[in-house]
Amino acid sequence: MSERFAAASERKVISRTSAEELGTLAHIVVDVKRRQIASLVVGKGRKALLIAWEQVSGFGPDAIMIADDTALQEPRDDGEQAAADGKLELIGKRALSDSGNDLGNVTDVVFDPDTGAIQSILVDDREYPAVSLLGAGSFAVIVREPAE
Amino acid sequence: MSVLVTGSAIRGLPVVTIRGGEDVAEVRDVIYSPEAGRIVGLTLNKRGFLAGRRREVLSAETIHAIGPDAVMIEDESSLILPENSPAGLGTPPSGRDVTGNEVLTEAGASLGQVRDIVVLVGSTGTVVGYEIDAAAGGTGYIPLPKQLAVSGSALVVPDATKEFIEDNLVGLAAAVDKFRSEAESR
Repeated sequence: MSERFAAASERKVISRTSAEELGTLAHIVVDVKRRQIASLVVGKGRKALLIAWEQVSGFGPDAIMIADDTALQEPRDDGEQAAADGKLELIGKRALSDSGNDLGNVTDVVFDPDTGAIQSILVDDREYPAVSLLGAGSFAVIVREPAE
Repeated sequence: MSVLVTGSAIRGLPVVTIRGGEDVAEVRDVIYSPEAGRIVGLTLNKRGFLAGRRREVLSAETIHAIGPDAVMIEDESSLILPENSPAGLGTPPSGRDVTGNEVLTEAGASLGQVRDIVVLVGSTGTVVGYEIDAAAGGTGYIPLPKQLAVSGSALVVPDATKEFIEDNLVGLAAAVDKFRSEAESR
């Protein structure tokens, strides 16, 4: 199974207990070291709330299911605030190789919706496997360029 | 094939951490050792418009790669204060600026004057040639041997250098490999 960040953007987030819509998916936060989704940022009106990946009960094709709205947290520190503000969003970010080449912009990220594992990252529609992802921050995503 | 950039193209490049993906500084100037034929380090500015100088410097040893679009470092611990940096970087000796130096062949012919250094992209600061104001007019690019004699005002290159003067960096990239392999077989 695989799913893409761009396609999942603005997918509705639903409470499993009340069947209410709690918001829509605003951003996906990636733990680059583990190459794994760390948390989701859910937009609810003008607010941005976070939920850890472990607390997502189902990342489905039509809706993202969570237990209830108590699972959604306000940002608690600078890192979470940056995530909530979308500063860590991978899509649209410049991609640099570890040898200092500008590779283009990140256009999409492919992941496994069951486990949250990152499978690959697309830079101007060229696909780089997840293992080539070295780092990411507010300035750039760093990718290891394959040996020619 | 090797890609080359001039020293002036390195100035202003962002300095980016590989793990963090952050632009922690930008290149203010290039500190070059003509004897070693390599960059010994970089001085830095803060990021942003008119942000001013950063006191820390970057030693070539902790640079992961100098690329055409960014200088890559492992993390911010690579930025060190000048007093903790290797000699020659914290307080570079004066008279080390090669720009304006005359390029003389061993036979005593002047090829022109040095305008800039040419750096191998993806390396940690290997200088493979010079951009010169050619004695014959216009801009020229000359390959450098691994060792050469330099004083404060002139440098001496092998006679064969004049056969390798190129008018662009792409030509120089090819010339450097050929020039160095020929120099070694002599």
